[in-house]
Amino acid sequence: METETTAISPVPTVAESEAKAGQASDRKSPVMLLLRVHLLQARRRMAAIREQSKLLSGAIMGFMACYLIFSYWLFARGLGFIEAFPGLGPLLIERLIFLLFAFLFALLLLSNLVIHYTNLFRNRETQFLVTLPIDSNSIFRWKFIESTALASWAFLFLIAPLLAAYGVKSNASWSFYPFVIVLIALFIALPAVLGGFFAINLARFMDRRVFQMLTVGLASAALLSAFFWLRTEAVTEDSLETRVLEVLDRLLQKTKFSQFPFLPSYWLASGAQLWIEGAFMSATFFLMTLLSYSLFFGAIAFTKLGNYFYEAFSATMSRESVFGQWSWFRRWKEREKARKFTYHPSWMEVLARWIPWIKPDTRAVVLKDMLMFWRDTAQWGQTLMLFGLLGVYIINLRHFSRQLSNPFWVHLVSYLNLLACSLNLATLTTRFVYPQFSLEGKRIWTVGMAPMGIVKVARVKYLLACSVSLVVTIGLTALSCYMLKLSWERMLFFISAISVMTFSLNGLAVGLGILYPNFKEENPSKIVSGFGGTFCLILSFLYIVGSIACLAYGAPRSGAVTVADSVLRGLVSWGGFALVSFLVGYLPMRLAFKRLPKLEI
Amino acid sequence: MIELHDLRKNFGELKAVDGINLNIPSGQFYVALGPNAAGKTTTIKMICGLIKPSSGTVKVAGFDMESDPLEARKRMAYVPDFPFLYDKLTPWEFFRFTVELFGMPLEILDTRGMELAERFHLQPYLKKTVESLSHGTRQRVAIVSALLHDPEVFVIDEPMVGLDPQHAKIVKDILKERSKAGMTVFLSTHQLSVAEELADRIGIIHRGRLIAEGTVADLQKRMGSESALEQMFLELTAQEDLVREEAESASVLESK
Repeated sequence: METETTAISPVPTVAESEAKAGQASDRKSPVMLLLRVHLLQARRRMAAIREQSKLLSGAIMGFMACYLIFSYWLFARGLGFIEAFPGLGPLLIERLIFLLFAFLFALLLLSNLVIHYTNLFRNRETQFLVTLPIDSNSIFRWKFIESTALASWAFLFLIAPLLAAYGVKSNASWSFYPFVIVLIALFIALPAVLGGFFAINLARFMDRRVFQMLTVGLASAALLSAFFWLRTEAVTEDSLETRVLEVLDRLLQKTKFSQFPFLPSYWLASGAQLWIEGAFMSATFFLMTLLSYSLFFGAIAFTKLGNYFYEAFSATMSRESVFGQWSWFRRWKEREKARKFTYHPSWMEVLARWIPWIKPDTRAVVLKDMLMFWRDTAQWGQTLMLFGLLGVYIINLRHFSRQLSNPFWVHLVSYLNLLACSLNLATLTTRFVYPQFSLEGKRIWTVGMAPMGIVKVARVKYLLACSVSLVVTIGLTALSCYMLKLSWERMLFFISAISVMTFSLNGLAVGLGILYPNFKEENPSKIVSGFGGTFCLILSFLYIVGSIACLAYGAPRSGAVTVADSVLRGLVSWGGFALVSFLVGYLPMRLAFKRLPKLEI
Repeated sequence: MIELHDLRKNFGELKAVDGINLNIPSGQFYVALGPNAAGKTTTIKMICGLIKPSSGTVKVAGFDMESDPLEARKRMAYVPDFPFLYDKLTPWEFFRFTVELFGMPLEILDTRGMELAERFHLQPYLKKTVESLSHGTRQRVAIVSALLHDPEVFVIDEPMVGLDPQHAKIVKDILKERSKAGMTVFLSTHQLSVAEELADRIGIIHRGRLIAEGTVADLQKRMGSESALEQMFLELTAQEDLVREEAESASVLESK
């Protein structure tokens, strides 16, 4: 071994070199340095995607362009439809715009709070920066900019086509578009400041466990109040004919909160609407209102909030449990510690033991995956939220009493429900099933070396993912059919369709997860954001659209249709659906299982 | 250079660091030993200002970490066991970032940066992004980056994790060399051989307390035997466990 003993040339220390060269004032701002580093990293990430596959980068760009065009078209049609409402169109559109921005403000606030908290206190870069000679204010400023960008980009992506459609439908002048861009830029600063403020203070004063409990409590309360306050009301034939204004008045009353003049969303919506109406001075007043608030709170965030960052950061790193302040908890912990270890199987293990035909090795893998899913709040929390919201919507279908007598609406809603359910499933299979194999790669020393073999492990994972998702998807589809009062034949049709889609989407996620593994990354969300994950999401989306189109082609039609025509349509529809499902669900998995024994991990 | 005065840190009911007093003069190579969860990393985190002490003070290069953290951090470097590096930057770009962050002239990269990169055999990797490097290479990149501003105090946690014997030797040589030139080193490790080979002074931390301290000879003198460091370490920690258990039993009896 060659040991080099080259002497290092004496170099002055930082303080000395600063003093010598008089460079203390030349020192670059840490925020600008960090910005430069992160921009460079972002550019390299984009280049890596382009280099990895031109097809994928093209597909992503195409997907984004299609989304923008499709949602613009959808919003334009929707606004046109509402506008055509005799006498009330403009009023309804106005209220919808206020309502939309009020909800988006609440969502932005929540998103800013979560992202600021994790980015400030659960982030390795922050820990690294704290050990460097960067003052707390600069670290906070950088993290504030980063968190705001992360929390707000989806909002911009979502509302861009809506505002474009709104402007075009309202025949707005060209000046509307730059004006609204400025309004939005100022608007997103306010939830960001509030999110940052709450994140810092939560970290300073609240234990993580209490915070989680409080968040769950508040979210449940908000959901419940929304459920009662905004639930759909049964509208009778009679009331539609004679008391339509009364019904509309009730609707407007319930949504009046969105026009509370101290809400930033009110300033944004008013500014945009007034500019379209040509009331430029009034619109500018709202722009100035947003500007003054953004500057005032922005200045506070940039100059004062950072002073509390270090205290909050240290507090989050110094906690064990907030319950430790109570003596009964400490005594209980002491007793627990002193007690001799005895193993109590969890309810999942007891449940798994009840299934006699599962072999012990398979049971061990199933149980391990189920326990990990159950103990990872992020996984079941997101699943519960997505399917819970869909469940609430489906339960509310019973209020569509009038539309249920019209076969067109029944068919349309039932297919849309199938679409919503499968889209939810695709989100979850891409987010949770796709990274499973990559994560297992880290545990290869135990799972991969077991006598059952890695192929069987992958098969077990596929079957487990299918079994769990089938319970939810079949349940929701059956509920939707029941609420729409469909015949048992149609119920069977939709249940069969969603079952096939469940197998296919899980197959796609497992297959691509094995074909495009990432064994370096430990964070599942980063695994998903790579090439394979993006590919999986796009392919799932295309598969769902294709499947629904095939199935809808064979849907029952009104008018004179011959039996032969119906049978032919049915055959084409199911044949197309089966072929697409086979290609998307079976082929990637087959390729993956073939490749698996040769895979070098 | 590093002064810890009655340093304490509580995590809820747990006393992670329980009254450590320590004074490490300029140029001394100090190695902290201790079993898992002894409080070594918590002590390091307080020295680097990552967490505030529950009580007591930390001074680095004469600057109080609580009242004057920036001045202290300018004069020190910290390398954790799994250092953070920006994945999409090359090592050279990362060095440049560090140099600019510490307000040093960029020319230092061509002299000191290149010398260190050569010494740590990093040249073949200077143009590759960090994500493509092995754990050991990343560790070397982190150490070079930490040495660039010629710190007066160097704090390093488990430096040999992931390093091959050749590079472990280079790290040991350079730290010893720098220590002789006046840099204070605080190193935490489980490898007793590293402590025996490098340390001017060894501290054994157990259950949040500094239970023994001194050179290997001092510790042998205290134990009254010529036994190896491993034996002394095991005996000292076992003795402390016994003393603590007795104290705990006494307090339980008293409360009854």
